[in-house]
Amino acid sequence: MTDDKDVLRDVWFGRIPTCFTLYQDEITEREAEPYYLLLPRVSYLTLVTDKVKKHFQKVMRQEDISEIWFEYEGTPLKWHYPIGLLFDLLASSSALPWNITVHFKSFPEKDLLHCPSKDVIEAHFMSCVKEADALKHKSQVINEMQKKDHKQLWMGLQNDRFDQFWAINRKLMEYPAEENGFRYIPFRIYQTTTERPFIQKLFRPVSTDGQLHTLGDLLKEVCPSAVAPEEMWFTWVMPKSDVLMFYLSYC
Amino acid sequence: MAEEQESTLLLPPSTAPEAEVPAEVSPETATPEPPSSAAVSPGTEEPVGDTKKKIDILLKAVGDTPIMKTKKWAVERTRTIQGLIDFIKKFLKLVASEQLFIYVNQSFAPSPDQEVGTLYECFGSDGKLVLHYCKSQAWG
Repeated sequence: MTDDKDVLRDVWFGRIPTCFTLYQDEITEREAEPYYLLLPRVSYLTLVTDKVKKHFQKVMRQEDISEIWFEYEGTPLKWHYPIGLLFDLLASSSALPWNITVHFKSFPEKDLLHCPSKDVIEAHFMSCVKEADALKHKSQVINEMQKKDHKQLWMGLQNDRFDQFWAINRKLMEYPAEENGFRYIPFRIYQTTTERPFIQKLFRPVSTDGQLHTLGDLLKEVCPSAVAPEEMWFTWVMPKSDVLMFYLSYC
Repeated sequence: MAEEQESTLLLPPSTAPEAEVPAEVSPETATPEPPSSAAVSPGTEEPVGDTKKKIDILLKAVGDTPIMKTKKWAVERTRTIQGLIDFIKKFLKLVASEQLFIYVNQSFAPSPDQEVGTLYECFGSDGKLVLHYCKSQAWG
């Protein structure tokens, strides 16, 4: 784990330069300037955009404001997907900054979950962590932790505190010496070429004859329709807590 | 007819009318081959598994949440957790504003847009996915 510290830091501190523009049909009392922000790849839109919200609400009347939501080129952005995943899936081939449109009306019920408070984001995040640990350790590690440890994981993410986060997360990344890895690898594969939300299946890190599985083995097994490896690229999006999320994109 | 009522229950939210919940649905009286449009049907002899469209779900109540008369259901893989929540709420005659939480492994609450098929693949055992449901947050 210590060898990977540089990689972990690079992933954690990844940023996407973003330009937020208010939707043209929103009613404003004066012109709304765009708002620029560096978004953390590992976080969630509704967790890091308080300043964006305040900026635009300053030029709007209270009665014209309801729940904020974000859209990129007509696609509502799911706040419960990590920011880096959203960008890589939808906008990675476009020039920077990432241009996101901000809405305060007409919430798209069919496309987005509501996010009435930070508690909802925390609950979603912790559920992901628990689901990942169910796969890695049959939930033993996460269940043995105290409530304050869970809280520390969340606060680490919320406050962008790498050390605070990994002090707890490292325990979720350990496995007994006699094993060669987790029980199952927690992963999700997102593809731009399909309507399916993502691929998630059981996959052991070690084969029956003791060979360590590679990423290529995983892809061959769960995503056989993918074209030859040299024709696709993928990004491993942060083992946030260990839902290893990576997605494929076809060149 | 019970089947038709089950079908209308399972239309996507945008088109679903306020449907009647079947008064009595039980495995014993269910027909052998439910219509393919019914995304949720009582668990019967319909084969479930990898290549089949439906998976078996066993619903267990937590705390003082009302217990469903029919606990075992065959559900289409692409049905979401939100769809299942809506279905259980209608079946238990809960009002729309009442919350319902669903848990896997008595440990995590999957996202409302998660598909039951994926959960079955990863967390099913003995040919079924056990889900606990509760009107309050049971496992945080």
